[in-house]
Amino acid sequence: MSGQIFWNGTALPYRPGETVATALTRAGVLRFGVAPGGQARGIFCGIGQCQGCLVQVGARLTEACLLPCRDGLMVSDAGGPQHG
Amino acid sequence: MGDPRILVVGAGLAGLAAAAELACAGHQVLVVDQARQPGGAVHRQPLPGARSLASPAQARRWRALMADVDAQGARIEIACNTRFGGVDHTGTVLLTGDAAALLQPQALVLAVGAREKVQPRPGWTLPWVTTAGALQVEIKTTSEPPAGRVLLAGSGPLLLALGAELVRLGQPPVAIIEAARPFSHPLQSLALPPPYMVEAARHLARLVRARVPVFTGAALTRISEHEGALLAEIATRKGSLGLAADRICLHDGIRPNDTGLTDSTALPVLRLGDCREALGAAAALADGRAGGAALAARLAGLPAPAASSALAREALAQARLARIYAHDSAAALAALPADTVICRCENRTRADLDALGPSPTTRQLRLDGRFGMGACQGRFCADWVARLARPDAPQPLGIPRWPARPISVAELLAAPDLTSGEFE
Ligand code: FES
Repeated sequence: MSGQIFWNGTALPYRPGETVATALTRAGVLRFGVAPGGQARGIFCGIGQCQGCLVQVGARLTEACLLPCRDGLMVSDAGGPQHG
Repeated sequence: MGDPRILVVGAGLAGLAAAAELACAGHQVLVVDQARQPGGAVHRQPLPGARSLASPAQARRWRALMADVDAQGARIEIACNTRFGGVDHTGTVLLTGDAAALLQPQALVLAVGAREKVQPRPGWTLPWVTTAGALQVEIKTTSEPPAGRVLLAGSGPLLLALGAELVRLGQPPVAIIEAARPFSHPLQSLALPPPYMVEAARHLARLVRARVPVFTGAALTRISEHEGALLAEIATRKGSLGLAADRICLHDGIRPNDTGLTDSTALPVLRLGDCREALGAAAALADGRAGGAALAARLAGLPAPAASSALAREALAQARLARIYAHDSAAALAALPADTVICRCENRTRADLDALGPSPTTRQLRLDGRFGMGACQGRFCADWVARLARPDAPQPLGIPRWPARPISVAELLAAPDLTSGEFE
């Protein structure tokens, strides 16, 4: 019963149980957002520690490497980590 | 009223072993884990339908532990997709995710494992430069090799293990760049416990058969992007060379994953396994069991049980491994060029650090330099900043703040408050 998630509006397949980070990786997506210095961010630690993989889900930023895929999930790339 | 349960954070070897001991002594235990299934880093479980890459010995160890947990029935509750946000001075713990709650457990066991050390290098912030552990998570869950050419660099036995796993998946790494010279210590190696030797020999045999170049006493000194690929500059003992790859995995050892694990005087807080001392899987299991039994004794007002001999044995083996992999990382750190990013979150460079003057104080480093102030709270820069700022006497970069990780207001509001009223 795998379905699809939406990355910046584009449908991507996923496998049951996998995280958004692995689904994006398989689709060849490397850049998840922009860090304060203007450089691209992406997966680094893979275990929820570095905040490099933050993506936007609804109003909040969350770690793609810990976020389970579910059918119809809308995810988009996030700017830099938000301050203040 | 407090919650009669004991909260264990981390459903890996240490956490589950502690939970089994505590439940066996009659306690009600809630185990939470941020992943979708128990297992931790070592026993991360494959996705449904994917085959497990665990060795027979690893699979046996996990099955035995899960049988111990299952034998406790309803006394152990495991909640996945749930994250620990920290404990405050009143003993209130914040959990977010599936089992979101504010609760005051009877005791708190932190068993959140290790994280990787990664030395900064120019270009280490580029997309598709990840830790070796991140690649391990991917291949353990999908049992598929990554797309494209992979280069492994840094130092530690994990590089050879991961390289061998990639060979097994039909995608040998382009090369392995190891800073130490582990093969030039035959006597130390022979003194390692047999399981270490058997595993190392198996990994090496795979790498040799696949003709994977392993450079020892070598360092990856710079990564840049070139024609859609990553270009690694490598300094070997015989000169320098460039290697192209699609993905570069860095790893310079492991350390306790202890950032934000503050203590609380309001309840017993225990750290077990790699987050107390990073000694590997066998030690984590032994530490979890011993720590769980010790906590049960303490709560019952009984004398502490004798220390575990398995733990002492593993500590000795890890000390041997550390000697085998010893190399001069201080020189590599000192030689980092000014444009090297040290703090990944806030893009702070070596030049920004040097601009603070000689021997900057912790206050200067944090307030003026903004080091350790980003979203990861210094998890990946604090050690290097401390060593660069005062090479002779590194000072800890200050105490991370509660919560232990960034938490949205929505997550906070979604956490039911279980700290007031009678607990049923
Ligand atoms: S990759 Fe580091 S937090 Fe997700």
